[in-house]
Amino acid sequence: MITTGLRKGEVSNLRNRKMDECVLVVDDDREIVRAIALLLEKEGYRVLKAYDGMEALRILGEQSVQLIIMDVMMPKLDGLSAMMKIRERKNLPIIVLSAKTEDTDKILGLSMGADDYVSKPFHPQELAARVKSQLRRYTMLGGIHAQHEEDEIVNGRLCYRLQERTLYADGEPVKLTATETKIMELLMKNRGRIFPAEEIYERVWEEPSFAPENTVMVHIRHIREKIELNPKEPEYIKVVWGIGYKMEKK
Amino acid sequence: MDTRWKKSKVICSFAAFFMGVSMLLVNLVPAVCLYLALGDQAFLSVVDYQESDEFRSLISGRLEELISAATGGKGWTFGNAAVTEGYGYYDGRPGGYMGLLDRALNEVTVTEETVIEQSADYVDDYQDALEDWQRHREEAYAAEMSEYGYDTDYYDGYAYVDGPEWTLDDYMADMARNKNIRYAVIFQDKLLYSNIEGYEEQTGEAWDKSNFYQALSEEDYNFALWYNWSDDGKVQMVKDGLAVDVYGDGIYGDDSLWYVPGYANFTLGESAKDARVFMAAAKEPKLYLVGDYGGYGVDQYGGRLYYMKLARTDMHRDFQRICQYLIASVILLAFALLMRKSKRLADQKIAAWTGQVFLEVKVFLWLLILLFLVGKSVGVLSSVYWKISNGFSSYFCWSTDIFYEVSQLCRAGVYLTAFYWLFYLAVLDWKGNRKKQKKPLLDLLKVKDLGYPLQKRLVRRQRMKVIMEIAILLVAGAVCPGVCLLYGAASSYGAYDYGTYDWVYEWAYGGGAYTGGIVVMIVLMISLCMLLGFMLLDVMTLRKNRRLAEDIGALSDQIQAVREGNLADDLQLSTDTDLQEAAKNLNEIQKGMETALREQIKSERMKVDLVTNVSHDIKTPLTSIISYVELLRQEQNLPEHVKEFIQILGEKSERLRNIVQDVFEISKATSGQLPVQMEILDMGKLLRQTLADMNGQIIQSSFTMKLAIPETPMPVLADGQRLYRVFQNLLQNALYYSLEGSRIYLSLTEETGCIVVRMKNTSSVELEHTKDFTERFVRGDESRTDGGNGLGLSIAKSFTQACGGNLTVETDADLFTVTVSFQKAAELS
Repeated sequence: MITTGLRKGEVSNLRNRKMDECVLVVDDDREIVRAIALLLEKEGYRVLKAYDGMEALRILGEQSVQLIIMDVMMPKLDGLSAMMKIRERKNLPIIVLSAKTEDTDKILGLSMGADDYVSKPFHPQELAARVKSQLRRYTMLGGIHAQHEEDEIVNGRLCYRLQERTLYADGEPVKLTATETKIMELLMKNRGRIFPAEEIYERVWEEPSFAPENTVMVHIRHIREKIELNPKEPEYIKVVWGIGYKMEKK
Repeated sequence: MDTRWKKSKVICSFAAFFMGVSMLLVNLVPAVCLYLALGDQAFLSVVDYQESDEFRSLISGRLEELISAATGGKGWTFGNAAVTEGYGYYDGRPGGYMGLLDRALNEVTVTEETVIEQSADYVDDYQDALEDWQRHREEAYAAEMSEYGYDTDYYDGYAYVDGPEWTLDDYMADMARNKNIRYAVIFQDKLLYSNIEGYEEQTGEAWDKSNFYQALSEEDYNFALWYNWSDDGKVQMVKDGLAVDVYGDGIYGDDSLWYVPGYANFTLGESAKDARVFMAAAKEPKLYLVGDYGGYGVDQYGGRLYYMKLARTDMHRDFQRICQYLIASVILLAFALLMRKSKRLADQKIAAWTGQVFLEVKVFLWLLILLFLVGKSVGVLSSVYWKISNGFSSYFCWSTDIFYEVSQLCRAGVYLTAFYWLFYLAVLDWKGNRKKQKKPLLDLLKVKDLGYPLQKRLVRRQRMKVIMEIAILLVAGAVCPGVCLLYGAASSYGAYDYGTYDWVYEWAYGGGAYTGGIVVMIVLMISLCMLLGFMLLDVMTLRKNRRLAEDIGALSDQIQAVREGNLADDLQLSTDTDLQEAAKNLNEIQKGMETALREQIKSERMKVDLVTNVSHDIKTPLTSIISYVELLRQEQNLPEHVKEFIQILGEKSERLRNIVQDVFEISKATSGQLPVQMEILDMGKLLRQTLADMNGQIIQSSFTMKLAIPETPMPVLADGQRLYRVFQNLLQNALYYSLEGSRIYLSLTEETGCIVVRMKNTSSVELEHTKDFTERFVRGDESRTDGGNGLGLSIAKSFTQACGGNLTVETDADLFTVTVSFQKAAELS
């Protein structure tokens, strides 16, 4: 089940709002399209279906679509080519689905204009979470041209406001403990830099460390559960094995 | 600080040992010899020169001279030359020879080995002895004179043949000037000679010792001797007012102190019985100098006693100094003994140093030094040995000679010390390095040789051979005549006149007729010519061999190229070479390999493609399955057992997903297509991170982790992400298959340049020892179908290998041990 972090009273409200958001699902496997459609409809989105690239382009020309989920390997026009064509005109988020899981495929997909990459077989909840995340950023933050205030550190889905000492994921504040906030502030301020566990411990706890991996890891796990779409395959806080931890620079 | 203290302790202990042993050995020989020479007086605070054999011998000799002079003996008529010589070698020359008369006496003593039954008919004794002595001197002198080409009458400042005529009176006049020995000689009741002033004139038999003794002060002359046969047939001696025990047991023998008549077996001849002699010796002898500027300059008198006293005082002082050194050395040695542990460390250090030196160099240097030492020391050591074994109190180290002796003794000690350290070093080296001897120098040359390509090496070797032959030829050519010349030169210097090298001299110069020498030279020349012939042969074959060497080199280069994977280029040798067939064969092997390799690559690629395609084809339906299971799960109002079924479907589809992923990765890893990002990382950190990552699972399990992961960095070059998978799999494996409630041991160590991670756990099921657990789809317990897919260890192994490491599995009863080892990287970045 997806935990949206919303209170019960807000759900119906959300449903109504979500019905305005239209997701286009493109895959040559009809069963998969249907399953995704069912799943997203349950989440309250309007879903359009297409079974190849050409069809997807046609639908896009006719209707207003806020997000596309697209398979790579399709007849007539494959996913990557279709995506290139879409990108000529539109700025909407595209999530690429693929059975290819190698890093090179992922990088290729993302560099050709995809906003996210989900490999098959995927967890339906994860896909739903990604859809929600992408839509939130696209609609609420005004697409990729979102303006940043000066005391903000923005990194992909994440945004840390220094004065508030608050972390936002997809524009929603994340409830972090004091220690977790300290860790996130350190990591967000130094995106891409690798911190040994000792350094994180010494700078956050402000006392000398002894084999601090366990302590640091417990907090990182908690943070991941709060900010990552799939905590098992984290995208933001990564372990650099044998060296330390880092915040991936998006 | 601690190591510095330890280091200085090591240095101190060895320095103490070195100093101790060196001082002990340097001073031991002189100490023993000086003790033998000084006898009981060695440990007295002041030495009495009169308590010495030398003094007794001098007094005995002088007594003989005086008695002989009293008789107006024939000894004097033999020829004044003898006396002249006696004078020349007699008094007051440091390092000089014995008095002629003493010498004569001594020769008699030395030749008498048993108890001497003799009557002191001095005149006859002298005659024989003097004749021998004279003859010998004349021969030696003649030889010396002819050698130097001198025709002067003086050699070394002393007259030998044509000196002024000397009479007994002249001799006695000289003797009188020596005030260290006062004497009075009475013959047939008449005072003949005396150098005592102020005695009371007596006549006839009234002359007595008291007449002279009163004229002398006992302060100055503490030793007095009175000889009057008619008294009791004995010589009386008084020293410091006390009578001296002259005769001991009354039988004259080798151990008797005084060579004077009066023993039961040492009686007097008739001619000397009428003589009476008084003698007194000075307590503090002085030099008496007379400036005979009209003659030979300043004449010295009384030097013998003066130098005797001086020498004995010096000996005594030297002995005490040497004793101090010995005590110091004993203290140092005791110190070294106390610190023997540190000293042993120093020994090991020295052995380590010498271990660095090539064996050949060591042996050569060692032998060289040994030979040098033997050559330098054999004379000194043998003479010292000879002196010690012959009794030290003989005349060889008397008086003024002692200056020479002490320095010689010290030299003997120095040589002994040098020998000691030479052998000490050898023993240290043998003990320390016998097991791990450094590679001999020849190997090093070989290694250097290996740096060149084969053909160059072969050519070089040939060239070296010729050069060596030339060198041998030159050395042989130079050495043979050189040796002849050297010994010839040595012979002509006379150094080997009567030596053992006579044969060399004979050989080189062919004795008298030169014929032997010529034969030897001819044989030598023939051998040299033969050597030259061999060398020329080698030079002639050099060119042919070079051609062959080049072909062999090309062949070996080609083999090297094939080994490195260059299979495309054929080896082209000219058709007339000996190696044509070998080259052809190699080219064929190359072609075969190339074909086989291409096929293998093709099949490998096909395998990976197959797995990729299959896994892709499985993934698409799997996506549907997982999605619809999720939809089912979200379905409300389903019966409880259906929900359970859906749960199972979810778990199994999840597992299928994992298997597909694993199979895909393992097929890539085993075909060497797994991309790895190698970087230097800390194995300890990686393990701790992995454990932290899996902490939840570990806490939930019934197992206890026993960790031995040091904080010190253990750098390895690997792909962190892959290595994490390795340890994740290993830990999961352990958590899954271990005996309930047992412990899992994880250790990280550094072993001879390798970083080794060892994980041990007790298996819950009996392990089959023949099973290879790292094979794909092999599991410890075949009956279990839940959980793992049997790929965990297989992935761990192939990932480890992809990172350049090594993973092995050992089983011992129920103990399951996995060892992951990596080469230690230089350092952490």
